[in-house]
Amino acid sequence: MVRRRYHQLEITGVRLGVCACTLSLLVLFLLCPWSLEAEPDGYDLLLKATQALREGDLDRALHLYQQVPPPQEGQEGGAFVRSRMEAARIFFSRQEFESSASMCREVLEVFPDNLEAKNLLRQAEVSQIPQWLRFLKDMKTYLPTLLKASGMTLILVLITMIVSPTAGLFIALGRISRMKMLSAIFWFYIWIFRGTPLLLQLFFIYYGLPQLGLTLSPFTAAILGLGLNYSAYLAEIIRGAIESIDAGQMEAAKAIGMSYWQAMRRIIVPQTYKRLVPPVGNEFIALIKDTALVSTIAMVELMRAADQIFNATFNIFVLMQAAIIYLVLTSIFTVTFRKIEDRLGVYENR
Amino acid sequence: MIELTGVVKNYGSLVAVDHVDLSITGGQRTVIIGPSGSGKTTLLRMVNFLEKIDDGTILIDGREAGYRRDRKGRLVMEKPDVICKLRSEIGMVFQHFHLFPHMTALNNVMEGPITVKKESREDARKTALDLLGKVGLLDKKDVYPAFLSGGQKQRVAIARALAMRPRLMLFDEPTSALDPELVGEVFSTIKSLAQEGMTMVIVTHQMGFAREMADRVIFMDNGRFIFEGTPLDVFSSQMENPRVKAFLDKVL
Ligand SMILES: Nc1ncnc2c1ncn2[C@@H]1O[C@H](COP(=O)(O)OP(=O)(O)O)[C@@H](O)[C@H]1O
Ligand SMILES: [Mg+2]
Repeated sequence: MVRRRYHQLEITGVRLGVCACTLSLLVLFLLCPWSLEAEPDGYDLLLKATQALREGDLDRALHLYQQVPPPQEGQEGGAFVRSRMEAARIFFSRQEFESSASMCREVLEVFPDNLEAKNLLRQAEVSQIPQWLRFLKDMKTYLPTLLKASGMTLILVLITMIVSPTAGLFIALGRISRMKMLSAIFWFYIWIFRGTPLLLQLFFIYYGLPQLGLTLSPFTAAILGLGLNYSAYLAEIIRGAIESIDAGQMEAAKAIGMSYWQAMRRIIVPQTYKRLVPPVGNEFIALIKDTALVSTIAMVELMRAADQIFNATFNIFVLMQAAIIYLVLTSIFTVTFRKIEDRLGVYENR
Repeated sequence: MIELTGVVKNYGSLVAVDHVDLSITGGQRTVIIGPSGSGKTTLLRMVNFLEKIDDGTILIDGREAGYRRDRKGRLVMEKPDVICKLRSEIGMVFQHFHLFPHMTALNNVMEGPITVKKESREDARKTALDLLGKVGLLDKKDVYPAFLSGGQKQRVAIARALAMRPRLMLFDEPTSALDPELVGEVFSTIKSLAQEGMTMVIVTHQMGFAREMADRVIFMDNGRFIFEGTPLDVFSSQMENPRVKAFLDKVL
């Protein structure tokens, strides 16, 4: 019983509210009668279009929007602007940039200062350009970022290029020396670092060592990882080169009274330089590309910078741009190493 | 000056040098001949401490040199610095020259005095130019070995050994790797050294040269000295030893 009465009361309330709204709207219309008289067609079409839109009939809505006439002398033109802009947005979302732009231009003809129309027109015009051209235009924006990042790539390469041949030479000499213990230690080191992926080594140094109480900055970790890995490779290359020198050279050096180390320093090792250039050059070219791996331990270098931009823009040209920078670097190295090889070979009869 | 007694060198089960006694006195010119594989190179290398002897003794100026016995009585080589010092006083010329290919002729000759004797560059250079002049290669001083003929290489190698001012020169088949027409220039270089009174041991297959040069000739076979005598003894028609005879018949 009680419930029903409440219900009835509620219904009465709703009805009262609707009545009040209608009344107030009527009053509003009465207060400003000129608005209806001035542009009846425009608003009529606008309403119909909204209705069509609500029903999902996009084409009809567009047609109706475009029927709204431009404002006559003395008219305020609100319906015109709204309808054309509505149409422009629909066209834009359908990727029909040409039509969208022409809608905007119609508005701007009457209201040259309309900010909304100006913005949409610019977007539509930009979007009208084919995607690849837009990507190319974007590249100019990203190039400085990529170049800056490739500076870091180059720093990593250069430091490793100094560290690893130096360390590699000492490791190679230790490997062939008669000091059994030293040789065994270096054998183990080379076994580990040549036998596991560089990526794993970098992860271990950057993410693993902190758990053992040694936290390194990404840069230190990157240098350490690349240095340890490449020293192992270069040690083996250098060892091979030393062992390839004719045993008679050591004999002759000893015969004039040189010690083993004097012979190494003055006679054997200098003869390996020329033989070392091609394989070491190959290693350094691999190194340029391997620096991309340190992007996984939070180092911002060329690969990571390119990856970040690509993820934000999906602009494949950014990746191509990075590829070109890598190619330029590797090409410079290739040419330089060939020059060095020629120069070191002056004592050879060809 | 240097005296080897009962020296032995084994390579596994192979006895390369078998209880050899060799005494070299100052100014003496010893020529060693013998078939290949008879242990001539091994013997020279032992004289120069490039090869460790397995038994025997080496005396230099009457004193044991280069080796001592450990507690178990085994022969062990002295420390490297002692050995280097001994080697630096003995020059060695190899069959295949072994010039340092990355150095010019001049630098090859200067290398020993600078690195081993710590001579100043100027002194070493003066000596080296002098020696290159002596072997007739002053005009090749700035040439790398790869651009020299075999005879020229061997003469640079002789100059390189002489630069250390050795008391004894060892020649291991110095002309065996040379074209016949280049043998003469190397021999005349060695001859001029002999005229200066250099003590030398020469291993060679050139019997004419052996006959001309030697104070004494040693015939070696199977790691042993089979015959030892003056050139006249060895090359005379009354040679009795059948092995020497067979060898000489083959090479002459
Ligand atoms: N490093 C070595 N290892 C094993 N055997 C060797 C070695 N050097 C020389 N020999 C052997 O020792 C013997 C003497 O060699 P070598 O002194 O070179 O003779 P030669 O100079 O008279 O031709 C040969 O049978 C040779 O094969
Ligand atoms: Mg020999």
